[in-house]
Amino acid sequence: MTRREKGLTYAVVVPFAIFLAFPFYFALVTMFKTNLDLANVEHSPYLYNDLEGNFHWDFWNYATTEHVRFLFEDTNYPRWLLNTAIVGAAVVGITLLLALPAGYALARLAGRWGQGAGVAIFMVYLIPPTLLFLPLSRLITQLDLEDSLWALILIYPSFTVPFATWLLMGFFKTIPQELEDAALIDGASRLKAFGLIVLPISLPGILTVVIFAFSLCVNEFIYAFTLISSSEQRTVSAGIPNDLIRGDVFFWQSLMAAVLIPTIPLALLYNAFLDRFIKGFTGGAFR
Amino acid sequence: MEAQAARAGSRGSHWRHALESRRVLAILLIAPAVVFMVLVVGVPFVWAIYLSFTDAIGGSLSGNWVGFDNFASAWQDDNFRRALRNTFIFTLGSQAIVLVGAAVLSNFLVRDFRGKWIVRFLVVLPWAAPVVLSTITWLWLFDSLYSVANWTLARLHLDNALVWLLGAVNLEEGAQVPLQWLGRPNLALLAITVVHAWRILPFAVVIFIAGRASIPTEVEDASKIDGATGVKKLWYVDIPLQLPIALVAVLFGIVFTAADFGVVYILTHGGPFNATQVLPTWAYAIGIDSGSLGEGAAISLFLFPLLVVVSIGMLFFARRAQVS
Amino acid sequence: MADVVDELVRPSSTLTRGDLLRRGAAGAFAVSMFGGLTDKALGFYGPLRFAKKQLAGDLSIMTWAHFVPAYDQWLDNTYVKQWGEANDVQVKVDHINNALLYSRGAAEVAAQSGHDLFWFISPPSTFQKQAIPVTDLVQEVGKKLGPMTGVARKSTYNPKTKQFYGFPETYAPDPVQYRKSFLEQTGVSLNTWEDLRKGAPKLKAIGHPVGLGMSNEIDSNMLLTSLLYCYGGFIQNEENRIVIGQGSNRRGAIEALRVMRDIYQNGMSDEVFAWTAASNNQAFLAGRLSVALNAISIARSAENQGNVALSDDTWLASIPRGPAMRLGNEHVMGVYLIWKFAKNKEAAQKYVVDQMINYREHFLRSGYYNFPPWTGSIKGGFKTIRQLCAQDPHKPKGKYTILTTIAEKYTTNPGHPGNTTPVMDEIYNTFLIPQMFAQVAQGKATPAEAISAFTTKAQSIYRKWRNQGLV
Repeated sequence: MTRREKGLTYAVVVPFAIFLAFPFYFALVTMFKTNLDLANVEHSPYLYNDLEGNFHWDFWNYATTEHVRFLFEDTNYPRWLLNTAIVGAAVVGITLLLALPAGYALARLAGRWGQGAGVAIFMVYLIPPTLLFLPLSRLITQLDLEDSLWALILIYPSFTVPFATWLLMGFFKTIPQELEDAALIDGASRLKAFGLIVLPISLPGILTVVIFAFSLCVNEFIYAFTLISSSEQRTVSAGIPNDLIRGDVFFWQSLMAAVLIPTIPLALLYNAFLDRFIKGFTGGAFR
Repeated sequence: MEAQAARAGSRGSHWRHALESRRVLAILLIAPAVVFMVLVVGVPFVWAIYLSFTDAIGGSLSGNWVGFDNFASAWQDDNFRRALRNTFIFTLGSQAIVLVGAAVLSNFLVRDFRGKWIVRFLVVLPWAAPVVLSTITWLWLFDSLYSVANWTLARLHLDNALVWLLGAVNLEEGAQVPLQWLGRPNLALLAITVVHAWRILPFAVVIFIAGRASIPTEVEDASKIDGATGVKKLWYVDIPLQLPIALVAVLFGIVFTAADFGVVYILTHGGPFNATQVLPTWAYAIGIDSGSLGEGAAISLFLFPLLVVVSIGMLFFARRAQVS
Repeated sequence: MADVVDELVRPSSTLTRGDLLRRGAAGAFAVSMFGGLTDKALGFYGPLRFAKKQLAGDLSIMTWAHFVPAYDQWLDNTYVKQWGEANDVQVKVDHINNALLYSRGAAEVAAQSGHDLFWFISPPSTFQKQAIPVTDLVQEVGKKLGPMTGVARKSTYNPKTKQFYGFPETYAPDPVQYRKSFLEQTGVSLNTWEDLRKGAPKLKAIGHPVGLGMSNEIDSNMLLTSLLYCYGGFIQNEENRIVIGQGSNRRGAIEALRVMRDIYQNGMSDEVFAWTAASNNQAFLAGRLSVALNAISIARSAENQGNVALSDDTWLASIPRGPAMRLGNEHVMGVYLIWKFAKNKEAAQKYVVDQMINYREHFLRSGYYNFPPWTGSIKGGFKTIRQLCAQDPHKPKGKYTILTTIAEKYTTNPGHPGNTTPVMDEIYNTFLIPQMFAQVAQGKATPAEAISAFTTKAQSIYRKWRNQGLV
């Protein structure tokens, strides 16, 4: 790249990065703010201030970890994080279990049928979820899963499986048929060929599905709100708004901490796997 | 004994044979996913459709058949029509921002530059954050009193200029300093659109990068040899090539925005004066909070036929464009 | 109102919210102030219908996360445990955010399964077909404690079915909270709405505007309906028919809309359109607002937040008088439903009755937030309540005395002079009242246009619920 190109790159990329990360910077600053610093309209929201609103370089002396401590010790936050991870992992597992075979079958075995299925799969996302929790609530009760993480583990794949199937179907299509045919001629069964040949090559696609499914699980909150009633069984997305917005009071600092704490590791994870995610998406959606 | 073993063997091979049959195997592999989806999505969905034709109330899953009454009574309410309009505004507006942003950003993000890792990390953040929670941070940024945006504008002495500008372009007359981002109808529409764009953008960037990677390099090379540059290249090479990518990105964006409930619910609750309601929040206000479940179901289903047509069209078009 | 009771234990200066919540265990407060109260309270009124019956099994209760966290701690860890032991019942209490009560309630109805007792923050009239009538319980408690207050009665009684569909647990008055020094400095009075209309510009001029919300949130709903009462612009009549578009109601409503527009244009800023339910608290506590309307959460938070100057300057007042009357809405009307599908109806029935009979401690633990629907449940009734309120140790001393007057004389139910019906519910939940006021204030509609539009909407909601047989 020429120097000019480089300059242009930064000129574009940096403002975007600032815009996208802006709220998180404030979450970071706000989570350590003292009440009096936060409550004073004159005080800079970008920094930590003393009671007069002045900034000092030893700013940590004007900040507090009290609200983070509150989050961990006086709410069920650690439990919510754990629940979210459990639900996410279980849902990812179920998603793969259902979507891998289905995607493979649609790509290889179903012929023209598979084309239509791809469209039908997308339709599922157009079903408005706002009121679906009511019929689902009855289903959950009938299965005796009330107020349990199992309710979420059962329901969440409903929005991860279609996407996963669609993406994997696309991905499997990119794998040359000849590879499998060779194995079939060698006497392997189709399932064996699938397991030994197709799956290993499909790892980027699978990884894409894992990340995507997990992020959808972390985001979901309507079912988590309505199907779970005890605080210990909630996920992050349901527990935080429920317990940290209390009537007329927002626990702003703790809320900000609660946002940032799961976001940072997830962003690191997504970033680390981003290239492979993109590779999987390329194969699944565009070939 | 032998006969038995033979029978067992033949049964086994029979099974194996069946598994090799394309049709049987296909059905077997697809069935679990289909059964699951029918049970967990299909049944509740049909139930919701049924409810929209009944006068069910207060969470009750049955009611008297009332035909299209719920749809008609929803339609007669101008608040509903505004919610419908807003759903389009938010969806199309945010997707327009996202498309341009993602096209530009992805173009530069594939290059190599120092600090790429950290930039990518920052770009990915909104996607990694649980959406309800990140929307709460936006609520704080737009707070009526503590708004960071207003604090900054005031320190830069831009607040009065902005208010004047909003009045001058007829976007928001009568606004005052400090600006109430969530308290003036057009400003609130703008704020919500921006938040939607903000949270969809990272994923769209990823789709764009993925899509770019799928464009064979030969095409790029060929266009170079042909001497296509500038606007010409953009029009005849880049745009047609990226169109299917854009369509997939937009499809995801539409799906995530049109059906979204959280952003509006948290930021404005549909206010001021119900000027920012969208169909999901309006359906919730009528169907759940007010207890008119049948009408709420009708409201939430209103857009479904349209979205189906749009998506089928887009998917079809995307596939066409890819093939050609 | 996160942190109310704590300061009663130990006046604090720079406590964080976390500190306060933790120390919220300070149920010690009531005991230290009114020692030995528990023993006296229990069994005060003698045996009840269920007294000899040993209940058994589990009782599950769904309720809100109380604005006073310390109250929840006491309820969960002390009260229900003691009650459960006395009745041989295992009690489990779940708390959810008050905004989610209705969706959770709907989910339980859909499932036909859930908690035995479900508490709602406003009269859950749309669920009445799903609950067992509690008329007998109401009568039973009435025999012991005397008459129920009007606000509770009209909130839970359906004249159409002639039943009490829900058991009223509490109501919270909705006082004006104001900064005395600002009002004295400007010479503004809060006696009438006309005074406020004239005074608002003066308050704004000294940088401390009035804060009356016109946003899609509950505080705005409550306040604006109250303003309509004061001007005689009633939404519905005693028979629960929509009458706001007619005669004196229409004239009153037009006048109320004009008053609010004037107060906004001259004495407020457009922040009032952007508010969440928490915003007026925040703005008042930040020292910005001179006048706001809310449950006592503002005054209580001020006491706890550490800004002594602000706290000592914060007083309570009743809602200003209008040409028609002085009348305000309750801020919270807590109502228990016992689902038809509840597994342990008997325990649920006994629980609500027992709680009402021994309400004094609930009143105290909630920092005077929870007023009892039967004033007789605190011996001596309003007289005692007034004494208790007057004894609040916070400065300025005696500021809570007026709260009793408000609760006794100036508090009614949404839908006054009629009942709180599903029609009122829907009007509230679709924010039609703030919509009407905000459109007029922002100049998008004239008062007459806004009322016509509102009436059309309200009529169609009325027809819908009439077809359901609930109004």
